[in-house]
Amino acid sequence: MIPRREFLQVSAVAGTALLGACAARAVPKGRTPVSLWFSYGGTNREVLESLVQRFNDGQTRDFVQAVYQGDYFEGLAKLRTAIAAQCAPVLSHVVGEVVPYLAEAGVLEPLADYPGLRELDLIPELGQERTWTSGGARPLCALPFNRSTPIAYLNGDLFAQAGLEAPRDWAELRAVAKRLTEPTAGGRFGFGCPINWWFWVALVGQAGGSLVAEDGRISLGDQAGVAALALWQELVRGGLMKPPPGRDYNAWEQCNQDFLSGRVAMIWSSTAFLKYLEAHASFKLIAAPLPAGSKRAVPTGGTFWIVLRSAPSAEKAAAARFLRFMHEPEQVITWATRTGYIPVTRTAVRTLEQRGYYASHPNDRVALDQLSVAEPWPWSVDLFRIQREIVQPRLESAVIEQRDASAILSEARALALEPT
Amino acid sequence: MKPSRAADPYWMLLPTLLLLFVFFVFPLGKLVELSLFSWDLLTPAHYVGLANYRSLWRSGELWQTFSTTLSMSMAVVLGSMSAGLGLALLLDRPGRFAAFVRSAVFSAYIVSWVSVGLLFLWLLDADSGILAGAWRALAPGRAPHWLADPALAPWAVAAVTIWKITGYALVIFLAGLQDMPQSVLEAAQLDGASTARRFASVTWPLLRPTTLFVATTSLIASFQLFDVVRVMTQGGPVRSTTVFVYAIYEQLFLDLRVGRASAEAVVFFGILLLLTGAQFLLFRDQESG
Amino acid sequence: MRPGSGFGGGLGRALLCVVALVWLFPYLWMGLTSLKPLAEIIASPTALWPKKPTLDAYREVFRSLPLARYFFNTSVMALGIAALQILLALPAGYALAKLRFRGKRWALGLIVATLLVPAQVRFVPVFSLLASVGLVNTLTGLILPFGVSALGTFLVRQALLSVPDAQIEAARIDGASELYIVYRLLTPLLKPTLVSFFLFSFVSHWNDYFWPLVLTTDEHARTLPLAIALLREQGTGVRWHLVMAGNVILSLPALAVFAAAQRHLLRAVSMRGFGG
Repeated sequence: MIPRREFLQVSAVAGTALLGACAARAVPKGRTPVSLWFSYGGTNREVLESLVQRFNDGQTRDFVQAVYQGDYFEGLAKLRTAIAAQCAPVLSHVVGEVVPYLAEAGVLEPLADYPGLRELDLIPELGQERTWTSGGARPLCALPFNRSTPIAYLNGDLFAQAGLEAPRDWAELRAVAKRLTEPTAGGRFGFGCPINWWFWVALVGQAGGSLVAEDGRISLGDQAGVAALALWQELVRGGLMKPPPGRDYNAWEQCNQDFLSGRVAMIWSSTAFLKYLEAHASFKLIAAPLPAGSKRAVPTGGTFWIVLRSAPSAEKAAAARFLRFMHEPEQVITWATRTGYIPVTRTAVRTLEQRGYYASHPNDRVALDQLSVAEPWPWSVDLFRIQREIVQPRLESAVIEQRDASAILSEARALALEPT
Repeated sequence: MKPSRAADPYWMLLPTLLLLFVFFVFPLGKLVELSLFSWDLLTPAHYVGLANYRSLWRSGELWQTFSTTLSMSMAVVLGSMSAGLGLALLLDRPGRFAAFVRSAVFSAYIVSWVSVGLLFLWLLDADSGILAGAWRALAPGRAPHWLADPALAPWAVAAVTIWKITGYALVIFLAGLQDMPQSVLEAAQLDGASTARRFASVTWPLLRPTTLFVATTSLIASFQLFDVVRVMTQGGPVRSTTVFVYAIYEQLFLDLRVGRASAEAVVFFGILLLLTGAQFLLFRDQESG
Repeated sequence: MRPGSGFGGGLGRALLCVVALVWLFPYLWMGLTSLKPLAEIIASPTALWPKKPTLDAYREVFRSLPLARYFFNTSVMALGIAALQILLALPAGYALAKLRFRGKRWALGLIVATLLVPAQVRFVPVFSLLASVGLVNTLTGLILPFGVSALGTFLVRQALLSVPDAQIEAARIDGASELYIVYRLLTPLLKPTLVSFFLFSFVSHWNDYFWPLVLTTDEHARTLPLAIALLREQGTGVRWHLVMAGNVILSLPALAVFAAAQRHLLRAVSMRGFGG
């Protein structure tokens, strides 16, 4: 039958072409393969791929194969199902909130005994030691990769025009937002922020609260949690804040786009977008630390490298060598300066200071300096579940539908206590 | 006919039934079993009885998912059927142009959901999409955020779905129209009945079996929407487009709550069975009627 | 020539044009977008023609994705599924059409019931099963779960109902085995049905998204729709020109099959094999 024959022919041609396409990506003979699953698109992906290439080209013992798996959440989902199906990769990176869960489930390889990994001269707030409460007391199982804090981005031109400076506390935030909002049709909002767990946690800290109370109870900030949510609601209601719609990372994208197009004068986003925004802004871009509530506070964000325990020993050792490579000053500097994430080792920071990098790039300093007020995450296996299933959806509906903040958080607290 | 050997039919059906058992019957059974446990794939499962079902009901999730799915499906079925019927009437004519338009409409049915989803994601983009641009040219201010406003998103997704599957209704209705006995139509025409009258008293009644068929197959298919939601809205904003299958996917794959997702899947399957049962009854009536 | 069902002359033609526009414009727009540089897309979203048409988007997509591999995977998977479905549907349809045996109605019912069970519902047990035999991220794992097609089985059954029993009885008397009858005698008679079904199944599984999404983890078995959907990378602004270029590449095979074999696809869809 003609159609069938045609398709078989096409397949044969494609198959031959395949041989060419495949050769480029096959593991060279004699090298230990390291499968790396990552979750970046855009520029970050390109930088990661170039660093992987640098590693592969610079030695003949190991070969890292990096595969893109979608965004953080898709990638994590794939990772977990792969672990369950026993076909997990050797190396991957995951958000900080989920590390306790994976560690307690016993799927992470302890890293302290691999050569060189204990002595990496990490900035303590970015390493396991201070990212989680009592992180230093537990076996080392995660190394910082792309680490960030939330920062504010200001449209320098608009601020200069209005004679304003970066707000230093919530009162100034309200005032500045009001000054810069133009309510006419097609006008401008003073402030924009993705309705996201991360920024809410920052606000909770600023209001003086913490996710988990001293006695271990999941308090979600109690009054501080409500105050944080209420601030957003107040700003949106007053027409001063534009909540970007969408889910998960769509909201961040939208926020960035609104800022770049001049529809929003000041946004909160991640230091991760610094290079992207600098490249695309048609105005002067100023990065600033987040304001204080009753105090200054920010969470840290980004992801950690993890090695999966289920992989063969030879591959795990190779992965450890790759991790050492990635923490060398040159690589840390390449990553940080091309993306905007914070350089994770003190050596790298010193080198950059010596080269005068921060003098000519003051925006890059903001996230780094903010580390002095960084708050640790609780080491809780439920943290990720609480974030994704309980708090995040409620934040969205509280702001978009203007529901009562206190009631919503009580609901969330009750749900957090339910056994899974 | 009698089989040449009594065991023959069973051998002939064996591969089919084997695959069906492994990939349909067994999973369904396992699903019911899993729905009584709490499991995250990484740590051992523990038995929780009906707690998953209770939790789904009490949290209001089940009801919300059901009503979202029902309203979107109804919109899709009614929309694609009316469009399909209207287009069938319009396009049931000779000529190359009509044939070309028929192909155009049907081609949307053939391309993948990913293609259509990505395409309309772009067309409906509130900043640089062409619909937004056209809107801004005609009306002052910003274009509505079709995919980002919880009130609008379900209708936007439904509209995209209608665009894609109207071709199916079109083809079936065309076949139905062409199956109609000529004699009755010509008689009506000779009697001097107007176009509208002809349609109402002759065409429409004769199309009823076809209509029923399209309605039920479309309803069952639209209840199983997934790809378009995944590509365009990921169930958002604020769960306004979280249809059943997407909810199950999310529970299972992103939240890793195997037990809860299985419970939701069991409920979903039950609802589909009910729908099919209803279809069966309707068809039965039709046959005898 | 049938009497047309309704709308006359000028109004009819105008409506035809509107309909054509609604269903063709999106593709046109997709193609045009894929030829524009990103800056142009952001700057003037409603400008129709690209000021500086360029194939850069396509070059970038080809450079960053192993497209040949994805095409290969997707084609092999779709071919495998369609072929397996026909292989199984032939004897099953024959038994259901021609043979009397106990449990016939149950078999029929079971096959119909499968239409009610979407892949997402079956996922976990099937995934665990495939994982335990090492079939995750393989083409076999993508093909096997779809080996049975209710539509295919019913199409075969429908077509065979109109084959006279006498023919089969004659072959039996001549000493033909049932397998011979099914695969050698009846298959040529069913050619139009089988071709239609093959093409329809091939195209629809080519387009599959969910199963490859959850079963594949890298380019070893990843399929094209998945790869193109991943183009919509998040975080730093969607690069629409790339997404649309990828989308053009993705839609072409389905549209090509459609253009070449429309009649067949139509037949597969409109054959109401199991109505009543």
